[in-house]
Amino acid sequence: MTLLNVKNLVAGYGDLRILEKVNIIVEEGEYVAIVGPNGAGKSTVMKSIFGLTKYIDGEIIYEGSDISKFPTEEIIKLGISYVPQNENVFPNLTVRENLELGGYTMKEGKEERIQELFDQFPMLQSKRNDKTYTLSGGQQQMVAMARALVLSPKLLMLDEPSAGLAPDLVKENFEYVDRIRESGTAILMVEQNAKEALRRCDRGYVLVQGEDRFSDTGEALLNDEHVKKEFLGG
Amino acid sequence: MCAYSIGMIRYYNILREKVQKDRGTAIVFLSIVILLLDLVFRLIIGKNESQVVATYLWDGLVVGLAIGLAGVGLSLTYSILKFANFAHGDMITAGGFSGWVAVFAVAGVGKFDMKNLLLVGAGKPINVTELGISVSTTPVIILFGLVAAIVGTILLTLFIDRFVFRPMRHHNDGITLLIASIGIALALRYGLAFVFKTQNRGLTAASLTASYSVPVGTGSVQIDLGEITLVLVAIALMVSVHVFLQYSTLGKAMRAMADNRDLALITGIPTEKVVRATWIIGGALTGAAGFLITLERGTISFQFGWILLLFIFAAVIIGGIGSVYGAIAGGLVIGLTSTISLIWIPADLANVAVFSVMILVLLYKPEGLFKGVTTA
Repeated sequence: MTLLNVKNLVAGYGDLRILEKVNIIVEEGEYVAIVGPNGAGKSTVMKSIFGLTKYIDGEIIYEGSDISKFPTEEIIKLGISYVPQNENVFPNLTVRENLELGGYTMKEGKEERIQELFDQFPMLQSKRNDKTYTLSGGQQQMVAMARALVLSPKLLMLDEPSAGLAPDLVKENFEYVDRIRESGTAILMVEQNAKEALRRCDRGYVLVQGEDRFSDTGEALLNDEHVKKEFLGG
Repeated sequence: MCAYSIGMIRYYNILREKVQKDRGTAIVFLSIVILLLDLVFRLIIGKNESQVVATYLWDGLVVGLAIGLAGVGLSLTYSILKFANFAHGDMITAGGFSGWVAVFAVAGVGKFDMKNLLLVGAGKPINVTELGISVSTTPVIILFGLVAAIVGTILLTLFIDRFVFRPMRHHNDGITLLIASIGIALALRYGLAFVFKTQNRGLTAASLTASYSVPVGTGSVQIDLGEITLVLVAIALMVSVHVFLQYSTLGKAMRAMADNRDLALITGIPTEKVVRATWIIGGALTGAAGFLITLERGTISFQFGWILLLFIFAAVIIGGIGSVYGAIAGGLVIGLTSTISLIWIPADLANVAVFSVMILVLLYKPEGLFKGVTTA
């Protein structure tokens, strides 16, 4: 079943139009990657879905209803979580407090959910009372993802989760994303590390100048001569 | 003997090098050592020195806690709303007057003409001794005044936020808010001056306020109940703020907003609600500070908060702007400096000492005493 269906989305910031007719579909439990050159508007797609940009035209259908004009608070309640690329943790709060705030809107079951995440990512449990700024970049990225997972979202949007990480951590990070996906959460990911992302995802989109230029299974895009030459560096 | 002198020479050389490298630090360090030695010397040989020093310590604590409490409110709004609120001083005054009006209305109703009592327009001033208010004789009325000061200031801050700051908040520009707050400060101050006139107003009768002598050395320190009330209530409020920020969900959300406002929004924290909560708590502390200072001084005037604001800013800067604990520590540094310095310098120069200490702190620890401990 289709979870998210972005149709002909036009959006930007102020007078600036960044997205020109973007179409993206995410099925339930599907792992979708958006790749493309710098400045193509990859991050803007996520921010627009999350209600953080200026909506101009098009539709964002989530579970059958158009959420294109919803405020961020409502979108979170519908089961979409978002991890921005930078400054995605509260540095002066402890790891545990970061997760507690991730579940701010939860009425009950918050403690159990946090414990579940601690079991899933044991590192978080051992560092739970440390201020988050004392953690390494990779560990902070994990805190950021866990924070977004507290609400058990149906769709998790990750903006360049491997940016700025050491090579061995990049692989580890992708493995964490695999693990999240295995628990049934659909993933929409923007990645600079295009080859790795396409290798692991179900489907991919190549975004160029605010438009979705190619879309296929990750495997097919990796082997597409044109995509390979233009966007994956040969 | 020879080895000993070689060792001495080595230490001398190291010291000499350090002093040559940084003469300023050497002079500051030397001055502090001399002052401390002098203090010890005075305590040993002086007749009444221990009494004098103890009195200064107590007075410094009282002043410091008053400034610290007022600073906590300023620091909270600074770290969460990201602007320096220049109206804070006049909100303190407004808090003092809210409590003052409540106390006078309750204590004097039936006994005096309400118009004279509240001095709306040109009333005849009421003799405070005749009205008979003090912490000792009318504690319930004083408590009522404290509550009225808190509620009054909360309502005032919410009103100002709704109609002035909130419409401007979306520009995300600290300077606009800061300048608006200066406008609010002036409007508030002269609004209060218009209603309550510009002369000093009495609140409590000094002759009725219980005072205790605490023996120190050969003499004693006079401590009155107004001061004790300020110290106890201020400490209780500071501990409450700490517990609230550390352990409550709303407190954590406030710290999160101080850390990263955009992320707070993305996380699903209702940011406008948190802003309102910040004003409510900041307003409550501000109102309480205003009334407690009025209570301790026994009088109130329309610009006491404004005069205090410079010291509050200094306290907040010394502590590290945005840090609640820093505001308390900075308040104590300022309060104690303003009184302890009197051992060596005339009272007229006390403020010179206070701001010299502030400049020294900024020279050696530009980020303040509580670096990086934003809000909590």
